[in-house]
Formats: sequence, structure tokens, C-alpha cells
Amino acid sequence: MDLNQLWRIISTPDNVPIVLLMIVVPFYTWYGLSQAFANDRLVVQLEADPALAKTHHRKTQPWKPGWARDVHVWPYLLRIEFLAAIIVTLILMVWSITLNAPLEEPSNPTLTMNPAKAPWYFLGLQEMLVYFDPWIAGVVMPTLIILGLMVVPYIDENPLGNGYYTYKQRKFAIWTFIFGFIILWVSMIVIGTLIRGPGWMWFWPGTTWDHNRLEFTVNRDLPDVFGLKGRVAKIIFGAIVMGLYSVAGAIGIHKLLNLTPFARKIYKRMSLVQVVVMQVFLISMLALPLKMVARLVFRIKYVWVTPWFNV
Amino acid sequence: MSDQDQDKDPVVHSSLSRPLFIWSALLLLSLGWALYDEVYGIRPWKSYQSHFSKVYSRYLRSVRPNESTFEKQIQASPEYQKLDRDAEAARKTVAAQVEARDREVKQVLVPQTLALNDPFQEVRSHIGSLTYQIETTNSQSSKESMRREIEQIKKEIHTVKLPMPDGTTKKVDYDYARMDRDLLAWKNRKAQLLQEIVDLQKPYTELLAARDKYLSDRVADVSSGMLAGLLNKMDDFDIGVRQIHIKDVDLVDRCESCHLGTREPVTLTKAAMGGEEVFVSHPNKELLKIHDPEKFGCTPCHGGNGVAVDSIEKAHGSNEHWLWPLHSRENFEAGCQQCHVKEIVTEMAPALNAGRELFRLRGCMGCHRYEGFDREPEEMISVNQQIRQLENQKAEWDREIGFTSDKADRTRDNAEAQRLYQHANDLKVRISGLDAKIEQADMRASNLIREVKKVGPSLKEVRMKMHKEWIPVWLQDPHKWRPGTKMPTFRLDQDDIQAIAAFIWQSGVTGNLPTSSPGDPVKGKESFETRGCMACHSMGEGNDKEGGTFAANLSRVGEKDNYDYLVRWIHNPRERTLPYCPFEKRDLTEADYKKKGVPFVFDMDHSKCPNDGHELQVEQMTPMPSLRLTVEEARDIASYLLTQKHFDATYPAADYLDDPKLKTHGAFLVRYYGCAGCHEISGLEEEQRTGTELTKEGSKPIERLDFALLGHGAEREGWYNHKGFFEHKLQDPAVYDRGKEKPNKLDRLKMPNFNLSKPEIDEVATFLLGSVDSALPERYYFEPTDQRQDVIEGWWVIRKYNCMGCHQVHVGQTTVFMTLPRYQDPDWKDQRPPSLIGEGARVNPAWLMRFLANPALSETDTNRDGVRQYLKARMPTFYFSASEIQKLVRFFAASSSQSMPYIDPKMEAISDQERTMARQLFSSEGAPCLKCHATGDAKHDQRATAPNFLLSKERLKPGWTERWMVHPEMMQPGTAMPSGLFRREGDRWVFAGPTPPSFQNYPRDHADLLVRYMFQFTPEELNRLRASAGAGAGR
Repeated sequence: MDLNQLWRIISTPDNVPIVLLMIVVPFYTWYGLSQAFANDRLVVQLEADPALAKTHHRKTQPWKPGWARDVHVWPYLLRIEFLAAIIVTLILMVWSITLNAPLEEPSNPTLTMNPAKAPWYFLGLQEMLVYFDPWIAGVVMPTLIILGLMVVPYIDENPLGNGYYTYKQRKFAIWTFIFGFIILWVSMIVIGTLIRGPGWMWFWPGTTWDHNRLEFTVNRDLPDVFGLKGRVAKIIFGAIVMGLYSVAGAIGIHKLLNLTPFARKIYKRMSLVQVVVMQVFLISMLALPLKMVARLVFRIKYVWVTPWFNV
Repeated sequence: MSDQDQDKDPVVHSSLSRPLFIWSALLLLSLGWALYDEVYGIRPWKSYQSHFSKVYSRYLRSVRPNESTFEKQIQASPEYQKLDRDAEAARKTVAAQVEARDREVKQVLVPQTLALNDPFQEVRSHIGSLTYQIETTNSQSSKESMRREIEQIKKEIHTVKLPMPDGTTKKVDYDYARMDRDLLAWKNRKAQLLQEIVDLQKPYTELLAARDKYLSDRVADVSSGMLAGLLNKMDDFDIGVRQIHIKDVDLVDRCESCHLGTREPVTLTKAAMGGEEVFVSHPNKELLKIHDPEKFGCTPCHGGNGVAVDSIEKAHGSNEHWLWPLHSRENFEAGCQQCHVKEIVTEMAPALNAGRELFRLRGCMGCHRYEGFDREPEEMISVNQQIRQLENQKAEWDREIGFTSDKADRTRDNAEAQRLYQHANDLKVRISGLDAKIEQADMRASNLIREVKKVGPSLKEVRMKMHKEWIPVWLQDPHKWRPGTKMPTFRLDQDDIQAIAAFIWQSGVTGNLPTSSPGDPVKGKESFETRGCMACHSMGEGNDKEGGTFAANLSRVGEKDNYDYLVRWIHNPRERTLPYCPFEKRDLTEADYKKKGVPFVFDMDHSKCPNDGHELQVEQMTPMPSLRLTVEEARDIASYLLTQKHFDATYPAADYLDDPKLKTHGAFLVRYYGCAGCHEISGLEEEQRTGTELTKEGSKPIERLDFALLGHGAEREGWYNHKGFFEHKLQDPAVYDRGKEKPNKLDRLKMPNFNLSKPEIDEVATFLLGSVDSALPERYYFEPTDQRQDVIEGWWVIRKYNCMGCHQVHVGQTTVFMTLPRYQDPDWKDQRPPSLIGEGARVNPAWLMRFLANPALSETDTNRDGVRQYLKARMPTFYFSASEIQKLVRFFAASSSQSMPYIDPKMEAISDQERTMARQLFSSEGAPCLKCHATGDAKHDQRATAPNFLLSKERLKPGWTERWMVHPEMMQPGTAMPSGLFRREGDRWVFAGPTPPSFQNYPRDHADLLVRYMFQFTPEELNRLRASAGAGAGR
């Protein structure tokens, strides 16, 4: 256990936001979800008790009789926001005094630093380069991410959950978000920051980042595992595998969307275009963790090998 | 809390005032913290500055009383008092006159001028503006009207109240012309009066200056006046960043924000500054004078981050990622190397010089290329290339001449034909220029073949030189056999040693070696110790070691060398058994010469290959010179050296050296380990260096230095930097193999161990740390184009041949002779070789050139020294190449600021009468010159301790000779030449002792007379002088 190394990694001023991220993101996820669950319970309670529904408009539990139905923004909200502003300012002040900008040496074109890392917000993309070829990871995927975020309001027409936390009414959206942002994006940033060391090798936290470390891994393409030789055969094989995956993914997602009557209700309302677009993005998103597992656990380099691109 | 409280709505009823208060207070605190950080936290230099002004003022106050009491003592001295009184008296005598003039200036001229000046200026500016309008307007009529206006203004009358000396005022009417006239007159009068005052007071001010000079001459450091000035400066000390900004190179150095004492005029020590080392003054003010911080800054020499002031770590650049950290104490001269890249000797940088010398002498340059070191082989390649290019050019032009002439013959147009013939002729002339160039390059090439030297001895001749059994023992661990030797210890196992030894042995040449009869070891010892061998070689082991470190320690030579070879070597170390032809890449044998019907003779005069006419290597590539000893003396020395051995040493038989099976592997290993970098080895003459180039090693990115498995440990222990890498590598060259799994031993690091001592490691590390790809602009580099360049070049030759073993070349240097016990004896002190300080001013360069080429100054009688035949130590023959001689002569001229080429000054002919006078003086008892100076008479010269006068004309410069006669002690402290021979009388030198009667009424300079006598000295005159001196001594 090289605690010195661990400390150097987590105390580098550049990495401090990531360490904070690791604590803050789970906390607020939990906090938001717990609010959502509370609201869901309240919805049940109010639906059972119309009298209460008349007096009770505040969202969270606990609620006591005699409490005001409405609370004014001034002073009750603003004073809390003011306190929050003070606390955040204090944190920023202390942070800026204690941690200076992490300057390094002047760039040297003849010498690449090792590990050479992107700024933390791009580390997820950099990590993706391990699993896909640069064309897919560097161009196609980022474009898909941006387009995917852009189409969200056109796919998600569920009006529930506006202005309050709820889990029951937005299960699918919440799980998609948790999966796409927290599991994929944030965890890849964390991996890129804390775990990838010299040579972009996998160093578990607490091991020494040894520049001399050598690792023996042979990565194979999936067609090679099946002993395919010809280029055409490989292209066809890859296309079949990808096709199978897409079909399986589409069926799985379809099943998932029809799991509960509530979900079925929302799904029914969606047009064909909406469904197809959503399927395309979700299947692409799902491909990332599957490829990660294939690469890290089964040492599969590419599934679909073509002269133009590799997946 | 009660139930009542619990039932209340927390959003509405709970009070936020407590958290608001606490967090606001914390926010305020953080604001305070931010302010503190801004003002003091990231500006630690502020507290340094206030502390400095405190301790410095305290120190100044503490020295002031001492200084002033001392000053008072001087002021109380009668000399000072007298000067003071004289000054006062001088002031009083003119006081009344000064007073009168002063009064006129102050009471009349100045007030009246002031009163008149305003109206005058008013009118003049009006006229000026009108004149400008005249110049710029186009209309003639308005020009005319304005001219009239000007006339009008000039005529206007102004009434001015002039103050009078008695206090009243007087009204005077002025027009412009009169104002102008009066003002000018008053101004002139004032200037005249002031000048008169200065003239009157001249004796007084001169006396005052003399008085103050008397004081300042006697106060060593700074006067109390200066101290008071410094104290005042400390009183209004203002705290702020102090920076040197050099605009054109964008250099900002704020070092002096904390190191405030660096350039103070008072020398500040750590103790004086209350134990604060940060405030001491720069230890070498001389160095600062040459490298003015206003032009050079601090960081270019010292390293560190000149801009950073927020912590010591950052300012000194010891934080991670800063590429140019402050040089540590033992390496601070690394900064010199950055700009003084072309030098082997840099003044005031002893450690760096030692590092460079180690790099050269220990043979580092045999494996590692370093620009400037061992450059002859590279230069040889480029000169040969140049010759080839020039020859191609010549052939091309030859062809063109043919074409052009042909064309000219055929053309009909006369003018065109003329032009073509002219072109052909021009080319012919240019070809003759090329021929001259080729001749020069050829000469350089043949010079270079002489200049190439190897660090180690030639291994071609081991068969003739060595005892076979010794070789494996030596290879095993050279440092065990001969501590301190240049040969490093390689990481060899028994098989490797056998193979290498076998290859070396079998590749050796054999040749005819005359058998010599044994010599006399007792005489040999005497010769060894007095002829000068010990300037380079040392003798004795352990603490008994005496002599130079330039060449090998000879205390165990008797165990390894063959007598006959040693005799030949001592007699002339440059003698080779077989010449080497670089063109055919082999040693020529007698058979080669026989085939061509040429006698088997090769030396400087017969240095062309009989097969192809190329320049041969006819010398051993050793810097060891010939002492021009007789064969008998060489035998004596060889016999003596062979007595030097451990009598109990045993060497196992080594018959495997003749095993031909080992040879191939041995050759591979010899090549692999780069033995040919230092040794001449058959078949490996053209080997390249095996190591990495080190010219810019100090700025190699740290990632490229292979710490191997030690990297993390180095980071933890704080030596993960260049300094740490070099030091560990030099300490143990195999250190970075530690823990590495290398089953094939050829994968191991192959750098051998030089067994350097800690100071030596520091010196080499200093040299390497300074070997950087400097980011400094060109003008910082020391690349002089004047005579200083000759000094740089000359040092390389001087170091190469170890001139400093015998001679003092620069002030303050110790020669080996000065350290030898025998030469501590007063009788032997005169036997030390002469000092060469000021040599360039002393000798005629043409003579020096001749002397360096042939120190015997004779082709036939070589068993002698050309100048100082009385010295037992002898100036050896180095067989310098022509360009080395040039460099040396230029070096001496440049280091004595003599212009080159030297032109003999015209010398006034000496009259017969003067010659007689000089002869009388030379042989008088007051000046027994011939007692010490040699005369050529063998009996007399046995006791002589100075050169023959016959040499003066050719050898010396008259100016120097005169200075020498007058002040020898000043030029060479401890010289046997007596000082005070002359005294100053008016503007001439007069002989101080009793002079012969003929000197009475001789009005001219005696020293000059003697110089002219010496420079017009003839052998006949010497005989006459000798006769009269003999007669004088007889009486």
C-alpha cells in the first residue's frame, strides 16, 4: 500500500474537484431520491385523504396539522438561500487561498508527459479511447452524446414531476440519467483521474505509479476468437453480432418500458419516431459498458472490424 | 425542547440567526485570512525586508563608532592637522577678496537681473510669436504690417524698478535693445566674478582635497560619512519588491527582494547580520564586477526562479516542474559552464575547471562525446572533407576553363571572345587561390595527425612492453593494483578478462627493439627526481605519494614492464614500432617499405605512406614529451624504475593469452566496452565512441534519465534530479542496475567505475550540471572575438600537455615542483622551472615559436636546455604541431596583453663610449651580473643560475627587460635577480650601487643604457666582458 502515492493523487489541486465529486454526487443523488420517495408517499397519503389534500400543499413530510399551507418566498426561502450563498462563498474563499493553480513545466514538443491526461471534464472521453477506435470514441460518441441530450425534451413528454421530486412517476427517466451520467460519465472521469497511471495502465488506488511497470495483455478481436480469417467474413460476422446486439437491446428496452401499467401508459403515448430515436440512443449508450466489460474482463479489442472503422 | 415547540412549523418558526451569525463570522474571518494572505502570506519578502532594515541599521550603528574613533585618530595626526591648518590659512588669505566678489554677485547682479528679466521676456516672446506669424503667413502685406509692429514693440519704453545695493530702488527707462544689452553685460560680469572666486579659492580646495584623500587612503572599508549615508537610507527604507529587469532578454529577477545585502558596499557576513545567511553580501565582488547584475541578473548564473517571491522553495526553483533549480553550494560553478562553454579553464571557477580536467584526463571523453573535448579526430574528418570539396571545385573550374577557351576560339564576335578569354583567365587566378586553400588544409591535416592523443597507452605494443601475466591482474581491478589510476574498473568476470587479455595480447605488434645494457638505478633515481618526470608522474604509495597526478603513478612499474622497451620509451616516448596508415587502416611493416624500395624510416620528416602517399601516424599518441636524454640516462632511469615493485607480488601464469580461440570474443568485448576510446588498439583505430553525448546532459529532461528501479526511492529521498542522478552514477556507475533482472550480462550498464572521491564527484557533477542547452540569449555567451579568444584556445593546449606541472601559468597557481619536498630547500628553489606569468611581455614571439619547436635551440647539441642550461629540470620537446605552437604563442601574448604580430621596436645604436661604460658596470662589483648569468664557459656555467646575455636580443622584449631590471621582485616574487638595483632620480633611473667613474656626468637613463647594451650584445663583446670581469675578479 503506497499511501504516499495515493495522497499525491488525491491532493493534486487538479484532482480535488474529482475527489469532491465522488462524495457530493452520491450524496445529492441520495438526497434527491429520498425527497422523491417522500413525495411519493405523500401522494399516496393525499390521494387517500381528500380533506387533507385541501389544506396540505407543502410537499415534504413530516407534516403537522396547524402548519401553514403556504410559505412566502420572502423571508423564508431567501434567508435560506442567503445562508447557502454565505457558505458557498466561504468554501470558495478557503479553497482559493489554500489550493493554487497546478502549474507544470513549459511544454516540450520532444517530450510527452506520462500519463498525459486531458482536463478532468474530458477524462471520460479519453477513457473511452481505450474501448473504441479514435474515430468512434473521439467523434461519433461525443456527437451522439450531444444529440442525445438535445432530443431529450422531444422524447420525454411525461409532464409529471415538474416542480417536485418524484420517483414513481419518472422511474425510467431517473434510471436513464443515473445510468448515463453517474455510472458512465462520472465513473469514467473517476477512473481516468484516480486509476489510470503511467502508460494509461490500470493502477488500483494505493499502488505505486511505476513508470517501469510492464503488463502483459493480448487483446483479440472477437472474429479472431472465433477463428475467422477473411476480411469479408470478419465484416459480416461483426455486422451480425452488432445486429443481434441491437435487436436484443431493443427487445430488452421494449420489455423494460412495458414493465408496469404506469410505464405502459406513457409508452403508449409516444409516437413511432420518438420510440425509434430513443431506442437508437439507448442502445448506443448501453454499448459502452458492455464494451468495457468485454475489454477489461474478456480482453476483446474490437467486435466489428472493418477497413473503415472498428467497433 | 417542549412538545409545543416541536409542533411549530420549522420553516416559519425556527430562527436562522444563529447559523447566519456563525457563518457570517466565518466568512469575515476568511476575508481576514485572504487579506493576510494577500499582504503577508504570499509575500514573505516583506518580513525579510523589515528584518533586514533592522539588523542592517543595527550593524551599521555598531561599526560606526569603531570607524569614527579610527577616523578621529587619523584626524588628530600631525599630517592631517597640518593639511587642515594650511587649508584654513589658504582660505583666510583670500577671504576678503572672495567676500567682495560674492557680495557684488548676490546683492547687485542677481536682483537686478531678476527685476529686468520679466519685462524683457515679455517683449521677447511677443516678438517671437510675431516672427512665427510672419514666417507662416502668405500675404506680403500682412508680413509687412507685422514687421512694422515688431519695430514698434522694440521701440516701446518700459520703466523698470531696479534694486540698488543700498536697498533703494531706482526707476530706469528701457527699450528692448537696452534691456538686451544690460542683461548680457550683467550675465558676463557674473560669470567673470564666479570664475575669479574659483581661482582665488583654488589653493584652498586643493588642500582640502589632499586632506580628505589623506583620510580616505587610511580608512580601509568605508568612511563614517558613507556609513551615515547608508544609515539614512535604512531610515527611509521602503518595503517593496526589488527587481532587476533586463528588457531585451525579458529577464526579471527579484532575488534581491530577500537577499538585500548582496550588493551593499559594506561586506556583510552571517555573524554581522545576526546569523541571517540570506542577508550576506555576494562573496565575490570581483565576479560581480565582471558580471554586472544589472546586465546579467541573478538566475542566469545561479539558477532558480527569479520571478517567484512567494516562498523560498519556489524562488529557489526547488519545486517540482521547475527546470532550472538553484545550483547547490558544491555545484554553483555549474552556472559558469552555461556561457563559458568553449573553455577548459575559466578564471575564478576552480571546481568547474577541475571537473572539466577530470572529464578530459580520466578519459570520460573516450566514450562520451562532448563538444570541444578531444575534437581533433572530428576536425580531421571535416578537414579531409574540405580538401575533397576544394579538389572537386578545382576540377570543375578546370573543365570550365577548357570549355570557355574552346568557345572563345570558335566565336566570331571579337568582344564576346575577349569576354570569354577574360573569364577563363579569371578562373585560372581563382584556381590558384584554391591551391593556396588546399595547401592550408593539407597542412592542417598533417598537424592534426600529430595533435590526436589518447588518454591511455597504446595497446599495440603490449607484447614488447609488458609482462604477459600482469595483464589479467590489471584488468581485474586496476584501482587495486594502482590506486588512483585513470584506468577504470570494468564489470568483468574471469571469462571476459581472459578473452580481452588474449585479444589485446594477440593483436599486439612486434618489432625490433635494441637490447640495452643495464644502467645505474642510483643515478636513475636522481635523474627521475630532477629532470622533471615528477611534474606528471608520481612515485610512492599511499601517503608517501609524491609528484604529479597528470600521468601514472610509477611505484610498481618494475612488476610489469620490459627493460628494453622502457629504455626506448624514456629516451623518446613518441617512437613507434610501426607506423599506422589511416588510409589503409593498418600498421605498415618493414615489408611495405621494402616492396617500394624505400628505407624503413618513418618520422616527422618521413611521414608519407610509401604505398599511397597519405600522411602516416608516425608518433605514439601520447602527450608524454621527450626530455632529450642520452641513451645512458634513459637506461639509468629505466633501471631505477624497474626497481620499483612489490617484491612479494605474484602473478599466476597466463598461457591462455596465446589461445587463438579467445581472440574473437575478446575483440567483441573490447569493442563493446569501448576500450579504443582511450587506447590505440590494432584493428580498432576507427572506433566510434560507445557512450551517450554529454554536451547538453544537464538539460536532458529528467524523464529521460534512467533511474530504473531507484526512481521512487530517489523521489522519497529527495535526489530525483540531475544532481542526484549524476552523483549516484559517478559514485557507482552500476547503481541503476540495482534490482534489475538482467540474465545477459551484456545488457548491464557498461560504464566502468572510476573510483572518484567525493570532491571529484562534485566537480564532475558541476561540469555536467552546467552542460545545458541554455535558454539564455546569445550575447550572454562568452565568445570573444578579440585576444581573449587566444587565451581560451591556448588553455586547451596548456592543459593537454600539462605545462602547469612545471610552470606557473597564472597568478596563484601551484606547480608540482612547488610541492616536491626536495624543491623546498632554498638551494633547490632556484632549480624550479621558470614562471610563465607575463611570458608574453617578456619574450619575442618569433623566438618563442622557435623555442617551443626545439627547446634545445640547436639541431646538433640536443642534450641541453636552450635557455637555462643551469636547470636540472629540462624543458622537454613536445613535438607540438605548428598550430599548437601558434596557439601557445598567441596565448602568452594575449594573457600579457601584447599585440600580435610583434614588431621589434627601433633601438638606438649604442656608442662605443656607452658600450665601454656598460661593460664597466657589468663587471663592476656593484653589479656582478656575470656571477649568475651564464656565459657559455662550461666551468663558470656550472654555478650559473640565469640565462646567457647573448640570448637577450633574440629572446626578450626591450620594454620588459627594462622593467625587469628595475623591479624583478614585483614581477616574480622570490626571484634570485636582486631588486633595487636602480633608483629614481628625476625622470630617469640611476644605478643604485657604486658606479664606475665614467658614469659621472652621464645624463641619460642607466637602465635604458644597459638594455641597449644587452640588445646589441655580440659574442665578441661577451669575450671582452668575460675578460674584464675575470680581471676584476682576479684583482
